[in-house]
Amino acid sequence: MSKQLDLLDIQGNVVRAYGRYNFPFARYVFLNIRDAKRGRAFVGAVTEEVTTGVRWDDGPNPIKKPPSTVNIGFAYQGLKELEVPRASLIGFPMEFVMGMKKRKDILGDDGPSAPQHWDPIWRDNRETDRHKDVHIWISINGQSHLDVQRRYEWLQQLVHHSAGGVAILTGHRGDNNTEHLPFQDVHAVFENGKPTSKEHFGYTDGIGDPVFEGLPGKPERVVGRGKQMRDGKWSPLATGEFILGHRDEADEYPTAPSPQLLSRNGTFMVYRKLHENVGSFNALLDRAGASFPGGRELLAAKFVGRWRDNGAPLVSAPDAKSKAEWDEKFAQANQAERDRMLSGFTYDDDMQGAKCPFSSHMRRINPRASLESTPGAFNTPGALANRRRVIRRGLPYGEVKDTTRDDGNHGIVIMMLNASIQRQFEFVQQQWINYGNDFNASNDKEIILGNHCPMQQSKAVIEADPDSDAPPFFLTNIPRLVETRGGDYFFIPSMTALRMIAQGIVDPT
Amino acid sequence: MSNIAGKAYAMNVITPIRWYMTWINKLIFWIALKTPSTLKGLITLSLIHYARWVIIGRKQFPHLDKHQPKEDLHYAYMLFFSNFNGSWAQYVDSFTFAIPAGLDLFWKWNVRYPKSVPLTSFHSYIQFNQIQTDHYYNAYPMATANDIKSAKKVKAALLDFDTRYAAAKPEEFQKQYNKLLRELQHDLGTMQPLPIVSLADQAKGD
Amino acid sequence: MGNKNGKAYALTCLSPIRQGHIDGVAYCDEVRHRLQHWGLLEDSPMAKVPQTYLCRYFVLNDVYYESLAGPDIFSTMYEILSFFSDRFRTAALPREDHLKSKYLVFSCNLHGDLDTYLRGMWDAISEDIQRIWCFCYGFDKVKDADSFVAYMKKCQLDAALFFVGSNDDPLPEQLKALYLKQEFSHFAAEHQGLPPAELQRAYRAFMQRVQPLNLASPTWKPGQSSLPSLEERREQAA
Repeated sequence: MSKQLDLLDIQGNVVRAYGRYNFPFARYVFLNIRDAKRGRAFVGAVTEEVTTGVRWDDGPNPIKKPPSTVNIGFAYQGLKELEVPRASLIGFPMEFVMGMKKRKDILGDDGPSAPQHWDPIWRDNRETDRHKDVHIWISINGQSHLDVQRRYEWLQQLVHHSAGGVAILTGHRGDNNTEHLPFQDVHAVFENGKPTSKEHFGYTDGIGDPVFEGLPGKPERVVGRGKQMRDGKWSPLATGEFILGHRDEADEYPTAPSPQLLSRNGTFMVYRKLHENVGSFNALLDRAGASFPGGRELLAAKFVGRWRDNGAPLVSAPDAKSKAEWDEKFAQANQAERDRMLSGFTYDDDMQGAKCPFSSHMRRINPRASLESTPGAFNTPGALANRRRVIRRGLPYGEVKDTTRDDGNHGIVIMMLNASIQRQFEFVQQQWINYGNDFNASNDKEIILGNHCPMQQSKAVIEADPDSDAPPFFLTNIPRLVETRGGDYFFIPSMTALRMIAQGIVDPT
Repeated sequence: MSNIAGKAYAMNVITPIRWYMTWINKLIFWIALKTPSTLKGLITLSLIHYARWVIIGRKQFPHLDKHQPKEDLHYAYMLFFSNFNGSWAQYVDSFTFAIPAGLDLFWKWNVRYPKSVPLTSFHSYIQFNQIQTDHYYNAYPMATANDIKSAKKVKAALLDFDTRYAAAKPEEFQKQYNKLLRELQHDLGTMQPLPIVSLADQAKGD
Repeated sequence: MGNKNGKAYALTCLSPIRQGHIDGVAYCDEVRHRLQHWGLLEDSPMAKVPQTYLCRYFVLNDVYYESLAGPDIFSTMYEILSFFSDRFRTAALPREDHLKSKYLVFSCNLHGDLDTYLRGMWDAISEDIQRIWCFCYGFDKVKDADSFVAYMKKCQLDAALFFVGSNDDPLPEQLKALYLKQEFSHFAAEHQGLPPAELQRAYRAFMQRVQPLNLASPTWKPGQSSLPSLEERREQAA
C-alpha cells in the first residue's frame, strides 16, 4: 500500500530536514500578537510564503528550490489571541495548553535546567506580562547567511506593516553574554569552510529520522528507520504517529481539535534550546576515559551509541578493530549503501548491551525491538517503541571557543515533531531519558541528556561482553552535560488551516 | 495522589459480565495459569508487582447479617486489581501495543468491552469503569517490580560469591568478582524516589 | 486455589457497610474519610502489619451502568431480531444494576499463611481496624484476633487469577535484598579499578557492614520512601 500525502498542504519542515538539503543556516523568530485582526492579517501574509512539503524542481509546473524557507507555528496562547474559537481550543491536548514550562516536573527541567535560568524570552513567557508571551514561531532556513538575512528583512517588513498588530520578541542569549537578541540563530558546525553534521560535543548528528507512510524519499530508507517486523523486514510507521488526520499505529486517528480542517495535516512541535556543557563533557571523558579499557574515543562512542567521527553505530563497530573495517567499507560504499550502514541496524545481536550500552543516547531514545527481551512475547517486536518515535529537526547554535569551559554560548536547538507530545516526546523524556526502569537500570539516566544531579552521584553501567573476562565499567558522578535554556510547545498547522486561521473562519459547528 | 504510592499505581476496575458467561472467563484464567506461554507477554512487560481478577457471582456479595438487604443483580461482576509501575497511560498503552490479543481474551466476555485496539475507546472503557483508591500502601515505594526481581538475584549471587570466594587469593578473588559484576550488570541500577507520575502533581504548575 | 501463587497470597475482602450516619455523615462516607486520612508510605498503619507487600482500600458505592457503546456477543442476534420488533433493540441495552449496600473493599497482596497474617494485622493495628470497620455489618462481634480472622473469612472472595510479577519471598527478605542491591551498586561503582588485595579488603569491610544474612538490620523499612543523603552514606561507610 503506498500512501500519497498532500505535500502541498503539509508544511515543508515536517517532511524534510532542510539541514540536509543545503540549508545550513537558520533563524528562529518568536512573536507576540497585540491585535487579533492585524495579527490574522500578518499570519495571512506570512502564509503566502510558507514553504510546503512539495518536491522542488519536480513534475509539471515545478516549484523551484528557494534560497530560504519559511515555516510557522503557534503556541496555545497564540491561537487564543488569533481568536480561534473556544470550542476548537478545548480540543487541544492538555500538555499543549499548559506549555512546556509548566511541565517541568515531568520533563526533569530542574536545577540548572529550571525556567529561572532560561533565556529571558522563555523565562518571561507565560508569566505576568501578556505582551511577553510567545505566540508565534517562525523559522527561516537559508542556503547562506545572506539568504537568511534577506528573508528576515522581508519578515521585518511584514511586522512593520502590521502597525503594531504583532511584535518580534527579544530575549535570546547570544555570544558575549548578550541577552536581548530578537532571534535565535543556529547553523551547522563548519570545518574547513564546509558545513558538517557535527554538534559541539564532537558527535555526528542528524542521522536517522523515522520513515512513515507517505513520506517522500527512497523506499530503502525504511530499513532502520521504520518499524521492525517479525519476519526481519522493516515497514514504514503509520502516518498518524506524526501527522494529524491520518491513521496511527493504534488504528485510529490521533486525538485532534475540531474541526478537521483545523487539525488535518498539522502536527505538534516541541522546541527546546539545549546548552551543552562542553567543559564538563571533556573533563568527564578525560577522567573516565583514562581508566576505560578501549580508551577515550570508544568511551565517547559508548555515551551515544555511535562513534563521534563518522556516526558509525556501535552495534556494527563495537571496537577499534571493527571500526577500522567499517570505515573502509564506508569509504567505498555508494550513497544508498552508506545510508544503510548508518541506519539499517537492529539490537537483536546485542541484547546484553555489550556493544551499545542500555544507557547510551541512541538506545534510550529509540530502543528499536530491544525491549522485547523474550522473543515473540509481543504482538510485534517493536511494540513498545513504535509509538514513541519523534521527527527531529534543528541545528547547533554558537561556537566553542574554549573546550575546557561550560559557560560559552554553545548548544543545539532541537525541534521534535509528533502527533502526541505527551505520548511521544514527554514519555521518552520522563521514562527513558531521566529514568531507567524499562532498561533494568532502576533510576540510572541516559548519559548525555539525563538531568544528572551531583547529590545523587549519577552513574551508568557500560556493559561488558558476557563471554569476556572484563567487568562492566561504571561511569560515575556523571555531571549534567546538557541544560535546558528554554522552549515551548507549538502547533504546526497545515496550509489549509493557516489560511483559515488567517481569515478568522475556523468554525467547529 | 491516592492511586499512587511511590513507584506503584493501584488500579481498580469493576465490570459487569453476564452470569452465564463467568464460566468462560474462569476457564480462560485457569488455562492461562497452566500454560506459562500465555503469560509470556505479561511477564516480559515486567510492569506489574501483583494483579488479580475476582469474579463475583450475582449472589456472592458477602451477606453477614439478617438486617443486611440481599443483593438483587442482573449481572455478575469482575473486579480487577493491579499494582503496576509507570503512569496510567504507559500501563494501559503497553498492553494495547504489546499484547492486544491477550487482553481481549481476558476481557471480551464483559458487557460492552470495546477491544483493546483502537486505543481511545479502550482508554475510555478502563477510565469509565475505574474506581479511585482511598488508601494505598506499598512496602517498597522506591522499588519497581524489576528492582525487586533484580534485588533477589543480587542477594543470592552475592551470598554464593561470598561462600566460594571471599577467602580466595586476591587475584582469584578479583577474577571471580569481575564475573559476579558481569552477571549482575543489569541488576545494579541505583534506586531513587522518582519519577512523578501523578497527573495531579503534573498539573501543579497551573 | 486461586488465592495462592507460590507463597504469595491474594486476600480480597468485601465488607458490607451499614446504613446510617455519624453526625450527619453517612457511614460509608465516614469510612472513606478516615481512610483518606491515614498516614502514607512509612506512616501508613499497614506498614506495621508484617508480610504486607502492597494493599489498598476503597469504598465501593455502586456498580456502573455500562452506557459506553461497545460490541456485545449477542449484538448481531439482536440486530436481526429487531427487524421484527423494536423491543429487541431495547433488550440489547445493558441492564441497570444497583448495590443495596456499600462495601469496604480491602485487597491485599501478602506473604504466607492467611490466618497468621490476619492475626498479625490485629495484633499490630487493632485500633485502626476498628475505626475503619466499625460501621460494617457483623463487625460488632469482632473483639479479638480469633473473631477478626473469622469475620474476614466471611467477607473473603476468591481470586480467579492471581498474577505475581515480582516474587513471593517473605517481606523482610525482599526489603533486605533491595537494601543489598542498592548498597552493592554503590560499592561496585565506588571501588572500580582497585588492585586485587585492596578490593578484597574493601569487600570484606562491606560485607561486615551490610550483614547480608541479618534480616533485621541493616535494611529498608516497610514503606520507606527516602534514602540516606550523601553525607549520611559517607558516615555509614566510615
